[in-house]
Amino acid sequence: MPFSTHCLRHRPTTIYLLCFFLSFAPLPAIDRLPDEQHRNGKDTLEAFEESSKAGLGSTVRLVRNGRSLAMGTIVSKQGHVITKASVCIGAQEAILADGTKYKVRIRGRDKETDLALLKIKGAEDLTPISWADEENPAEGSWLVAADPTLKRLKVGVVGAKSRPIDRVGGVIGVILGRDGEELGGVMIERVMPRSAGAAAGLENGDVITTVDRQKVTSREKTIELVGANDPGEVVAIQVKRGEKTLSFRVTLGHRSVTFEQFDRNARMSGRVSKRKDNFPMIIQHDVSLPPTAMGGAVLNLNGKALGVNVARVDRVTTYALPAKYVREIFEKLRRPKPKSE
Amino acid sequence: MYGNNQLKSLRTKIFTALVAFIFTPLATFADKEEETKAWNKDVPENKADLLAIQAKLQSVLEKAKTAVVAVQSGGGAGSGVVVSKDGYVLTAGHVSGRPGRTVTVVFPDGRKVEAVTMGGSEISDSGICKIKEEGEWPFSPMAEKGKSQVGDWCFALGHPGGFMEKRGIVTRIGRIINKRDATLRTDCRLLGGDSGGPLLNLEGEVIGIHSRIAMSDDANFHAPVESYLEHWDLFKEGKMISRRDLQKGGFLGVGTEETENGLKILQLVKGSSAAKSGIRKLDVITAIDGEPIDSREELSIVVGSKEPGDEVVVDLVRGEQELTISLELGERPE
Repeated sequence: MPFSTHCLRHRPTTIYLLCFFLSFAPLPAIDRLPDEQHRNGKDTLEAFEESSKAGLGSTVRLVRNGRSLAMGTIVSKQGHVITKASVCIGAQEAILADGTKYKVRIRGRDKETDLALLKIKGAEDLTPISWADEENPAEGSWLVAADPTLKRLKVGVVGAKSRPIDRVGGVIGVILGRDGEELGGVMIERVMPRSAGAAAGLENGDVITTVDRQKVTSREKTIELVGANDPGEVVAIQVKRGEKTLSFRVTLGHRSVTFEQFDRNARMSGRVSKRKDNFPMIIQHDVSLPPTAMGGAVLNLNGKALGVNVARVDRVTTYALPAKYVREIFEKLRRPKPKSE
Repeated sequence: MYGNNQLKSLRTKIFTALVAFIFTPLATFADKEEETKAWNKDVPENKADLLAIQAKLQSVLEKAKTAVVAVQSGGGAGSGVVVSKDGYVLTAGHVSGRPGRTVTVVFPDGRKVEAVTMGGSEISDSGICKIKEEGEWPFSPMAEKGKSQVGDWCFALGHPGGFMEKRGIVTRIGRIINKRDATLRTDCRLLGGDSGGPLLNLEGEVIGIHSRIAMSDDANFHAPVESYLEHWDLFKEGKMISRRDLQKGGFLGVGTEETENGLKILQLVKGSSAAKSGIRKLDVITAIDGEPIDSREELSIVVGSKEPGDEVVVDLVRGEQELTISLELGERPE
């Protein structure tokens, strides 16, 4: 016989079998863990009460025209809120966990960390987040963050080494073809489906003549000028289409999102943050949050914030900017800019 | 086999009650249970429980990571875990592929060594390789058969998205949601590149190997370590258990569901050897040729590795009755 199945097996002894023969009714077959007992199940979450209170009490939803854009972390009693800059553009209201709504205004943004400082109007006695002292939480440490409904938490653990994330420039999402002086620019051979370029209205065969008003005649120059911008930033592109000259404003996409959209991992990850690179330092964790939960705090079991979530990277990865960096940016942005005369 | 703790204690109680009932005059039993550990509770109840689970995880995490490898071959890459000092590596069947291939195994520090692929099973998506170089390799032991149970806290390690030295191995925590049909399901989230990486219990033992995912957060599937233990010798010999080969083998003619007690027959194929032998729907198969059968995978392997015309002895439970039936296996209908 080609197969034998006896190796390393143990005969199951056991009580269950005995039970079966002794009892007259078969036992119920419970072979699935009840939903409430899953990692993010209702019953499991009750144990996280302390961090839950702190997390929900000092996080806000940032809304534009009734739609949630991002979360924000309350960092002062007077209503300063830190959030992820590239997703909270146009935020009008901050909504607290208890449903109270406030108008918000943007006070400043920091390009390097993609954080923005907002100010809630008319609030005087909010509960600011309390920062954790530890800078580098050990892998496997529990973490907690509010989900975008601000009604419940999601939990996970620190999942990998804390580290800086290198910069990857933004992309239009086109494959460049012929170029040169005679052509008068750089031909777009193919616009990637669902890319930034496609959304802006670029078409196959368009010839790019300028990027941010600078003339381009080579692929290299085009890539350099576009790539100097981050995903989420807007680049002005001028093209020749037949006899016509057209102008487009393209909100750049992320390289991985644009070119790997048909990749299985990207498909299985659902929606991810557009900007997920170029951070001076991150804490990586597996708390499952949608991109609209970025800007909210991630807390330890004592209800102290370790940082602010800045990118949903994929199905298994979220990045948080550590508290130390968030606090520095807050101090920098809250100081009024010196007037240049 | 796969009850959760609540069920376990329920069963113990029922059993105790029954024994007590039968032996009433003699029954003296003390209900002294040890204090339940945080990770054995239905759910952690408070911060202390969570800290206990965290401490338990962290006490095994660093060592467990040293045994996790990336398995690279051609364009593809997956993960794996060393389970013996002499360098046997468990991975997913779809990562190791055909036996006898050379693959590169990358340790967390970036060290690369060659390994040769050995046997595996298409049914459970299991596969093994062996590091060619002699040495004493860091390893995580395999948990013994039946040790992992629904509800157990566990953690997944691997290289989601591929090997990245600066990031290192990625840890995810979760619980076993169910365990049947040669598959463990957990809410430890996985991604491509994790395939072949280990699922471990809080003692640092390998209880499963990452296999596949569906879209929802809690749909992460692993081949249970039992699938490897069952066929260890076979895998070492470089044998592959493939669906096609098994289909050419003997045919019983039953459709079954895994239960706590064995395989419950839900369907009988008309005119099949099972139907002709007097086996009925709702009978529970407990053994074939004296070998206990507790997964559908085992049934298809045991039956499929015999030839049409071979005689087998099937142990069954029907209601409260135990039966033994001998029958001649047939051929799979076209």
